[in-house]
Amino acid sequence: MASTTTARTTRRQFLRSTALTAGAASALPFAAPAFAQRPRLVYWCYQFLKSSDDARANFAREWAKKNNVDLQLSMVPWKEFMPKITAAIEAKATPDIVESGGVELRGRGQLLEVTDIYQKLEKTYGGWVGCAPKFMREPDGRVHHILYGFQGFMLIARDDLIAQAGLKGAPATWADMLAYAKKAQQPPRSFGFGIPVSNQTDSNVWEDVMKSHGARLADEAGKRVVLGDHKREVWEFLDYFTETWKANVFPPGVTTWDNTMNNSTFQAGKAVFVLNPVTLSLWLEANNPELLAKTGHYTYPRGPKSLIHPVNFGSRSILKYTKVPELAKQFLWDSMEPGKMDAELSVSQWGPVLNAYLAFDVWKKKSFMKGLVEMSMRGEPEGWPDAFNDAWREQATNTTISRMLQRLVVDNWSREKAFAETLDVLGKIYGKYA
Amino acid sequence: MAMRQRSLTVDVPIPETVPRRPWRRVDREQLVGKAMLLPTVLILVGLVLYPFVYSIWLSFSDKTIGSAGRFVGLANFRYVIAWPQFSTALLNTVVFTVCAVAIKLVLGMVVALVLNQQIRGRNFFRAFLLLPWVMPAFVVYLVWRWLFDPLSGLINYALLDLGILKTPVAFLSERSTAMASVIVAHSWRAFPFFAISFLAGMQTIAQELYDSAQVDGASRWQQFRHVTLPGLYQIIGVVLLLSTIWTANAFEPVYLLTGGGPSDATMVYTLLAYVAGMVNLRLGEAAAISTLFLPLLVGLVLAVTILLHKKAEA
Repeated sequence: MASTTTARTTRRQFLRSTALTAGAASALPFAAPAFAQRPRLVYWCYQFLKSSDDARANFAREWAKKNNVDLQLSMVPWKEFMPKITAAIEAKATPDIVESGGVELRGRGQLLEVTDIYQKLEKTYGGWVGCAPKFMREPDGRVHHILYGFQGFMLIARDDLIAQAGLKGAPATWADMLAYAKKAQQPPRSFGFGIPVSNQTDSNVWEDVMKSHGARLADEAGKRVVLGDHKREVWEFLDYFTETWKANVFPPGVTTWDNTMNNSTFQAGKAVFVLNPVTLSLWLEANNPELLAKTGHYTYPRGPKSLIHPVNFGSRSILKYTKVPELAKQFLWDSMEPGKMDAELSVSQWGPVLNAYLAFDVWKKKSFMKGLVEMSMRGEPEGWPDAFNDAWREQATNTTISRMLQRLVVDNWSREKAFAETLDVLGKIYGKYA
Repeated sequence: MAMRQRSLTVDVPIPETVPRRPWRRVDREQLVGKAMLLPTVLILVGLVLYPFVYSIWLSFSDKTIGSAGRFVGLANFRYVIAWPQFSTALLNTVVFTVCAVAIKLVLGMVVALVLNQQIRGRNFFRAFLLLPWVMPAFVVYLVWRWLFDPLSGLINYALLDLGILKTPVAFLSERSTAMASVIVAHSWRAFPFFAISFLAGMQTIAQELYDSAQVDGASRWQQFRHVTLPGLYQIIGVVLLLSTIWTANAFEPVYLLTGGGPSDATMVYTLLAYVAGMVNLRLGEAAAISTLFLPLLVGLVLAVTILLHKKAEA
């Protein structure tokens, strides 16, 4: 018969076992010195296109493994980046390396200087492409963020619908684009302009259209608002926009579209034209190659006065609070290595930033990627011809020009009233930074 | 006066020395009591008072991200008040709060009354009722955005199919319908809190009161008005108070459904403060917006409290 008595632990036994456990726990760091000595690197990675995100994240993980670094990687969607980094800086719990947001953080003195990395990359890889130095170099020559790719909107068009309408090639001007849209659209199955006119930043394409009519927001120094001096050009632009609105080429709902709706509308085959980065085409390549085969990629149409086709960028920077500045700089340097970038750019929306990258096969293999090279080499920084500064950025996040358009079509305001409000808003914003 | 003259005088023996032990015990009890309160006080100071005072300080500073910020007096307030969207946000916040709370109150009451009856599957429906409230907000509002979509949304599809509409309506993108659509979506998500609270309150009302009312010949409406409603005043007060605060501070419905558009038709103060602070990185302006709305929120809460207090007293 089995004994039913349970073994009781004496006080002495309990104390002994507790002491042993505590001793073992306190000895652990000494027993694993290699683990304890691993430097930690916190990296916030820009999240947008999965294939591109995966490529950058995988590289970071492999790099960390190779260099025995304890890497903490976080994928942060673009829209959430500023709120998150704002909270992190205020809480004094910042990452070491961040992607994107370089300009905003640089202006507020939050970034570590990386001029040495900039110069080393320039010297080693044949120099920078296009306007990359304009984005990175400050007036005093210092650099605080390293570009890893250009991106920007392109005119993405349903070539099949355009051909069905008896038209050929891409529209050369904004007026042509409207004429094409009217002929090629088949509402409610498809609409001409899949372009938002909302409070979301994709609506800032209207600012580019306005500038191609000859207007600009501020003076050369980016301090004083001069839009009021361009009333005639703005009027021409507003006439153009009103004409497009009355032509019913917009799908219903564009005044509250978010930044995904132009993508999803084109993906659903419901737009003839959209202005979007090639992320859309990369998505189509993976998910709807049939639609991609019917899709053309073009530079922006010209306005009556000029062609305005701005480019944006992706960049990495190091927060000034980092405890591992040299390690972070090493990561920035290694992450720009051409072999690694070749693999990454073939699945990304990014255009080349260094001349060594121009030889990559990806630019020749994919037709829609050719446009990226042209855009990278010829594009001007966002906001051009206005200075890309804090004031311009704030008015852009405020979608000032799109709001003026909404006043016309949502509130039925007169041009004078909408224009006066826009001048007032711009004056207030630029006044803060003057 | 006469009473005072006739008052009795009683001799109470006063001990020469106060016994030390009981007093020491009282002292110790008081000390222990205060010590036990201390963590709560510290938490309140740390998590409520400090952020509140700090946000007031922020509103008087030019603080941006990473900078210490300098005192700028009323500059932020002047800037924000002169900003065109501010007055729109003020009005929209009031409209959104009042309408949404009113709809939730009526809807919650009706559903609670139905679920308080002996109906088949009552427990299932009571559990089912909570579904909108327990779902994550972003899921709810993305579903509603799809429902309202003019090209592929279910609402337009149904209305067109039934012949009620001839062309699709962009509910979220037209000034006349945008705010109403946001209110509907928000009310749908939040009314279960009202319903479940009212239902709980109804179950505490004694059946005898209804029986007496029936004996006196009270109709259903009279029973509701003179028995149910007075029995629920306290609960209605608490629920309205909480809901007014939550609704006025709601951010997700507008952010996810319209982004404040079209043309600021749905711009509310929370979104305005978010854009100022989290998008434009100007924390001073964001704090000024929130501080300016504080009297409005306090006013709304006080109005609700006073109204219900009067009702309860009546």
